Amino acid sequence: MIKKNVICSFCGCLCDDLSITIEDGKITGVDNGCALANAKFLGKERLLKPVIREGDSIKETEYNTAIEKAADILKDAERPLFFGWSGTQGEAQAKGVHLCMLLGGVIDNTSSLCHGPSILAIQEVGHPGCTLGQVKNRADLIIYWGCNPLEGHPRHMSRYTTYADGFFLKNAFRERKLIVVDVRKTMSSDVADEFIQIEPGGDYAVLSALRAIVRGEEKIIPESVSGVSKSQLKRVADMCKEARFGALFFGLGLTMSKNKYKNIRNAVELTDELSRHTKFTISAMRGHWNVYGANEVFTWMTGYPYAIDFARGIPFYNPGETTAAEILYRKECDALMVVSSDPAAHMPKKCVEHMADIPVIQIDPHKNCTSFFTDVQIPVAITGIEASGTAYRMDGVPLRTKKIIDADFLTDTEVISRIYERILEAKADV
Amino acid sequence: MKIELSIKPREKPFIPIEAESITPASFLEKMTEDITVWSGNREKKLTEIFDVKKSGNADSQKDVEIILNGDCSAVKRVGEYMKDGKISIMGNIGMHCGNFMSGGLIEINGDSDSWLGREMTGGEIICKGNTGDYCGSGYRGEKTGIKGGKITIMKDAGDYLGESMAGGEIIVNGSSGNMPGSEMQKGTITIYKDAVLPCPNMRGGICYVLGEAKEILPTFKQTGSIYNSDHKRELNIYEGDYANRSHKGKLFAGKTNKK
Repeated sequence: MIKKNVICSFCGCLCDDLSITIEDGKITGVDNGCALANAKFLGKERLLKPVIREGDSIKETEYNTAIEKAADILKDAERPLFFGWSGTQGEAQAKGVHLCMLLGGVIDNTSSLCHGPSILAIQEVGHPGCTLGQVKNRADLIIYWGCNPLEGHPRHMSRYTTYADGFFLKNAFRERKLIVVDVRKTMSSDVADEFIQIEPGGDYAVLSALRAIVRGEEKIIPESVSGVSKSQLKRVADMCKEARFGALFFGLGLTMSKNKYKNIRNAVELTDELSRHTKFTISAMRGHWNVYGANEVFTWMTGYPYAIDFARGIPFYNPGETTAAEILYRKECDALMVVSSDPAAHMPKKCVEHMADIPVIQIDPHKNCTSFFTDVQIPVAITGIEASGTAYRMDGVPLRTKKIIDADFLTDTEVISRIYERILEAKADV
Repeated sequence: MKIELSIKPREKPFIPIEAESITPASFLEKMTEDITVWSGNREKKLTEIFDVKKSGNADSQKDVEIILNGDCSAVKRVGEYMKDGKISIMGNIGMHCGNFMSGGLIEINGDSDSWLGREMTGGEIICKGNTGDYCGSGYRGEKTGIKGGKITIMKDAGDYLGESMAGGEIIVNGSSGNMPGSEMQKGTITIYKDAVLPCPNMRGGICYVLGEAKEILPTFKQTGSIYNSDHKRELNIYEGDYANRSHKGKLFAGKTNKK
């Protein structure tokens, strides 16, 4: 059997045109997907039963026992931390916020390690963005800054930018110009019309220089800015001003390098400046398939997109203080629940050391680095394959992922709801 | 009135304590038993966390002095909305010390954590150790940082010193981290040693970097140099930030390397 128009729940592109071949209830083929999608749909390895740690050994158990143990750990915690969320369905994220509110904990999603700085910049100067459909049909200038879409988001260029057909462009491939900005040559820079190679950490200065040039203040700009020649900067500024519709996409090269959110602020202000000459938009290349959803769900429930502290009963938000990495680094939390993420593989050593000292609950279909620190791991159905659920594409468009095969696993939403109910019962008993 | 608070040993010493109730006003208006602080998600009596010794009387906040003993690096928001009086911190202090303060004096003998004197409008903070990031800045997304008052740091400051500063004065006797005075609008920052990427996107205000200013942005225009008799140094004068529509900021920097 072939299922058509399946949504891929891997990266923020949420490609919705995959064809999946299913034989005897198992996925045997993926068409239209990129290498990353193929690996996700055809992946075999996973955790089959919930496991709990007893002394030095790990023991398989049933869902009820694992959920009971998770509730036990959380209910007495003084400052529990809930982290992850970007690899799960919107419904589970909403339940997670409820659970955090009930326990007075801190809830953070993986944006704090990727595009959190973009959100800080947006809170300072706004977000002149648009949906990917607009870019596909109208944009005649694409800029990729600090990202390598051909390898990171393999179908971004073919579905939405360089290689896509555009309704308002006669010959989209030839009419669209492509600028790539990076610290090194990449697969994406090889296909660019203009490649700007910046010295590491020099993005801010280059963005400032471009802003000044666009404003007509090119006299004060020196001959070279962070390894980029003034003539190239002037050429690029002209390309931007002459475009009918420009779209700037930025990745972690801009958010997680030196100056962090100030880079994004500067890029937004450049977009603002260019919009006095032509139409220009800016968008983040979101990584996980539902990280935008995590921001979205958290925002409509609490008012803040990530790093929300419910200790006082009301939401308090302050990245740098209430973000997961900082809390673990300062040893502030006394229990950790990780949902569909792998902080042990991505956070600094000191954070991981604290994870070893406190009880850790993990809700994830797969074993990963964090599994080595967990006291309870509960496997769940994979959203988009074994369960349906809502996800937000990187441009903020919500899409409903489908269930394409049956499995005996509970969904994230079911597991978190059951932990929530168990804690409510325990609180009522007291 | 003199109040001496000594932090007691705790079972989980790293769980943060939110103590915005430690201000001269609350000791003047409330009984000590009625004052509470938050430890994680629990509201606790001040006396559960601190040993409290109170002596003397006071008619106004001006006559209240609070002394904090022990390592208070997990105690946040001390002196928030402080209007008058004095807080002396003998060791280190946690984040958000002196948030929104409008008067009085906070003296810190150890190091202070990030967001020291966030959005303050008056009064004075003296920190004899180092301070963390966002000293004298605003809250996330806030258009203005400190608007008045004075912050003096005897050692080094972290990143984003005086972000969106809109008045007042910050003096750092050591070096500052990355981007001091970003989005600065008014006020004065003086850094006696080095700074990295000073005053990006500034619209107004004055910043002195008396040591080495690393990576001055290409959008700053050098308009000359001056011998500063106060600091006995030859300083280059820059105007900026020309990336902005409004670029009335002034940056005085010692030895520089323009990126």
